[in-house]
Amino acid sequence: MVECYKIVITGIVQGVGFRPFIFRIAKRSGVKGYVKNMGGSEVEVLIQGDKQNIGKFMESLFKDVPEVAKIDKIITEETECGDWKDFFILPSGTYVKEPSQIPPDFAVCEDCMREVLNPQDRRYRYPFNSCVKCGPRFSMMYTIPYDRENTSMRDFPLCKECEREYHNPEDERRFDAQGISCPICGPRLFLSTIEGEIIDGDPIKTTAKLISEGYIIAVKGIGGFHIVVDPLNDDVVLKLRKRKNRPQQPFAVMAQSLEIIENYAIVNEKEKELLTSPQRPIVLLKKREDGESLSKYVSPGLDREGFFLFYTPLHYLLLEEFPPHLFIATSGNKHGFPMCVDEQCVKEKLKDVVDYVLYHNRKIVNRVDDSMIRVSNGRPLLLRRSRGYAPLWIQLKNKALHHDILALGAELQNAGAVAFKDKVILTPYIGDTDEYSTLIDLENYVLKFVTMYSLKPKVVVVDKNPAYQSVYLGEKLAEKFSAKVVKVQHHVAHILSVAAENGIESGVGIAIDGIGYGDDGNGWGGEVIKFEGVKYERKHHLKYVPYVGGDVNALRPRRMLAMFLSTFMDWNEAGKIAGIKEEEARLLEKITKKPGLMTSSTGRFLDAVSAFLNVCDQRTYEGEPAIKLEASARGGKLLDLDIKVVGEEIDTPSVFKWLIENRGRYRINDIAYTVQYRLGEALIKTALKYGDKVIVSGGAAVNEYILKGMMENSEGAEIILPRKVPPNDGGIALGQAYYYALINDTS
Amino acid sequence: MSDPKSVITRLHGAGGAYMHNLIKEYFLQLYDGYGEVGLDVLDDGAVINGIVFTTDSFTVRPLFFKGGDIGRLAVSGTVNDIAMMGGDPIALSLGVVIEEGFPKSDLAKIVESIKNTVEEAGVHIVTGDTKVMEKGSLDKMIINTSGIGVASDALKYNFTVLRKTRQVKYEWLVPMNLRDGDKIIVSGNIGDHAIAILSSRQGIEFEINVESDVAPLNKMMKAVLEVGGVADAKDPTRGGLADLLNDWSEKSGLGIYIRENDIPVREDVRNAIEFLGLDLMELGNEGKAVLAVSPEMARDVLDTLHKTPWGKNAAIIGEVRKDIQGVILETAVGGKRLVTRPVGDPVPRIC
Ligand SMILES: [Fe+3]
Ligand SMILES: [Mg+2]
Ligand SMILES: [Zn+2]
Ligand SMILES: [Zn+2]
Repeated sequence: MVECYKIVITGIVQGVGFRPFIFRIAKRSGVKGYVKNMGGSEVEVLIQGDKQNIGKFMESLFKDVPEVAKIDKIITEETECGDWKDFFILPSGTYVKEPSQIPPDFAVCEDCMREVLNPQDRRYRYPFNSCVKCGPRFSMMYTIPYDRENTSMRDFPLCKECEREYHNPEDERRFDAQGISCPICGPRLFLSTIEGEIIDGDPIKTTAKLISEGYIIAVKGIGGFHIVVDPLNDDVVLKLRKRKNRPQQPFAVMAQSLEIIENYAIVNEKEKELLTSPQRPIVLLKKREDGESLSKYVSPGLDREGFFLFYTPLHYLLLEEFPPHLFIATSGNKHGFPMCVDEQCVKEKLKDVVDYVLYHNRKIVNRVDDSMIRVSNGRPLLLRRSRGYAPLWIQLKNKALHHDILALGAELQNAGAVAFKDKVILTPYIGDTDEYSTLIDLENYVLKFVTMYSLKPKVVVVDKNPAYQSVYLGEKLAEKFSAKVVKVQHHVAHILSVAAENGIESGVGIAIDGIGYGDDGNGWGGEVIKFEGVKYERKHHLKYVPYVGGDVNALRPRRMLAMFLSTFMDWNEAGKIAGIKEEEARLLEKITKKPGLMTSSTGRFLDAVSAFLNVCDQRTYEGEPAIKLEASARGGKLLDLDIKVVGEEIDTPSVFKWLIENRGRYRINDIAYTVQYRLGEALIKTALKYGDKVIVSGGAAVNEYILKGMMENSEGAEIILPRKVPPNDGGIALGQAYYYALINDTS
Repeated sequence: MSDPKSVITRLHGAGGAYMHNLIKEYFLQLYDGYGEVGLDVLDDGAVINGIVFTTDSFTVRPLFFKGGDIGRLAVSGTVNDIAMMGGDPIALSLGVVIEEGFPKSDLAKIVESIKNTVEEAGVHIVTGDTKVMEKGSLDKMIINTSGIGVASDALKYNFTVLRKTRQVKYEWLVPMNLRDGDKIIVSGNIGDHAIAILSSRQGIEFEINVESDVAPLNKMMKAVLEVGGVADAKDPTRGGLADLLNDWSEKSGLGIYIRENDIPVREDVRNAIEFLGLDLMELGNEGKAVLAVSPEMARDVLDTLHKTPWGKNAAIIGEVRKDIQGVILETAVGGKRLVTRPVGDPVPRIC
């Protein structure tokens, strides 16, 4: 007897070859009917067949699901039978029931690389090869659903051969694969001088030669341009630093294989997994002390190097032609500005930086930066959530929103979000929104998601800091949508960003951070906060020290050091030890006599220690003094030091007393190790009073020695770190959205 | 500090966003349609029957500061409000509220200063009022001045020149006259007054040696109007350039683009700003004007400013632009930043 069932499957089922998969198992099991995309993250299947056929189909459905597809739910119901003569893939539905998950960009897969390297294959040496499992997605999407007409591949009509593959249900890799192309019909590569003069010959071979000759090349990739140079040549790296006006900030290095990376860095199993994953993030790896080394100017003063593997055939072919098989691939932007996504931008903004431009004619619709991750004490922690990760949504486990909302994050290294029901969708990494063009970028991405998901935002969540430009933008957007503005304290948002992905509704969290605006108007950043829903209490914090002048103290670690010292010695002496000018110390003495801005920042504490130890006393990039302090602790031993907790305050200034008393007695790495470890220890001990699960977040939460101090003194309590978003301000938007979910506003 | 949502705090008095909202919420309802330039414009003054009328109260602390005192400030403030409407100031009233116990010697100094400033500006005090209040009910002294002015021939000439470039609805210097392409000129160094006051207050005046710029600007304005082509003028007092330019942008519906590198600032003021974590755009001034001038006339206006004693350091700092929204500052390092109305004390932003 013929039976009919309608099956609705929800999850990441679009853009991953799911319909072809259904088609194949339908054919194999002998059922008739159809499969179609529902324009959301849903696929609808109708099957018609006898019990045995249907049983076979259902078994394969559960057993053989493609790797990249993620199924949230399957609803099956018996239905009236039509008269289906065969099994069909029907055109996409247009109505949206469940909104679609925007697929992120995936690295080229092994099968595709095999074709690229096979001289017999028609895609031999084809730089843009992709299949149903791999290649760009979000970066080339104008809108959802993920269909070729909605991507910039619509500019490249399929040739006969590709067309055949696309329509052949037996072709597991190219049937209904939206992004496919070949050397005949696909995008093309061009090499030109920065002035725009086209260079003849094989663009890849010529580019590789130019790199080896020490030129600086802009290379168009998936989500933007890289700037590519030889990482072994000091002169070239220094030239790039000078031209980019980037004196110290490390450059990422792209390599052709894991083996090559292992010549330079220590790679553990977790890191291997991350390096080779379809997301292909930059992974910050410990430098090898015994192996080969890159130019010392690639990551000056650091003990980690940022490596990633090629993620397109183009990268692979370039690396292949350039003998060291690795090169610096840093984002193609001017310092502080968004990365370029088109040739015009490169010609205008990078004309004083690069010599040549290697580009292709596929439009980059959405800028997607390389993601960045590091493993600290066995915990992978995102530093930048972008390519491969964004804009996948993060599902709230325990709460659902009653309204559509926007969340705009903080300010530096920012990402925003839209959220509806139980889904929070973070934009890819946006950058520092104190720069106007970056702020506009944030606005554009958020609005793009609003349109793609047809949202009607009723709430805009922002930080409490009145000086953030993102707050200003939030107020503007609230006006546009007649929405209400909700403000969330920065460190509460940090902690809730971790609570969100774990479905935690009350508990205790430690936020170790640079600076965020505190409820008392001071600069918070070393906080132990107990929370229950949206109610929270600040239980402990690093001892307040003066922060007169605000941001100038972040830029000048020696001045910050003087602030710490002045809490227990006279200003004259504090100024001398810190190494600031006499007149500045005199001025600061007078100003700090009156009540003014104070801070409990962890970042500033680490900055001051870094300055005291002469590890770093200038900040040329975010977190530099603290990052270099961490690097300087490598191989350090634990010394006696007890950071006391007095009432609410954790006595960080006392660390400087200890440092002065023990001057010259210990090695720098022992001191650096001890200070960071003991800070972690002091923090976890105070937090343990409020629960046996402790959330840890904030920009300094990636610090391996602070973390170690926490983990080794946690007395069995669970330490919960963020996994899906960065602990830094790139995760704030998730915490903000969750805060609003916890309010449970039904109005 | 108490909550600015439920009570009036000093944030509401600092110029900037809080004051702006306070005025909109409470005082704007008093507008009943009266006046050629009425209360609704919220400009430096009003125009009724061809006369500019304005009022201002002065609460500066300390009363005596480097480069000036409350008396000089009270006269200059009102004279400048009239001048920034394009009016020729004629007469002022003087209201003084004094705390019981105030030293007569200080009062004498202040009156002397008022006399000198009035003479400098060429205006007259024609009426006044004095009150003494119980000790503790106010801090030493408050002065209120009101003033009137008329349209001069210079103002009329200014508009015959300006009319060559646009249609003009108001023959007064108001923000609605701004057009795309107008040059923004500031008449001199920014920040002197704010830093002078701050250093006096913090007891650091000997480390930072800057005098307030407080001065009546009516003669400078007259010279400028005789050149012509000025669309609006405004003095960047409390809330500084940030508040002023946002005002212009909102009221004209146009964007404003400013280059930080072109803003004239004394070297020591720049150092003090950096040191104290202040924002150049938010610093108050008491002897400066910002002008929006048609591009054709900007050069001539600038040359004329340079010849007056008040405008030696005048500079073009930006343009009015219709292709952008709000106020955008091109920073010294080449970035761009949105300039919003000040929100009060400096707040740390860097993570
Ligand atoms: Fe933060
Ligand atoms: Mg005016
Ligand atoms: Zn593939
Ligand atoms: Zn083809």
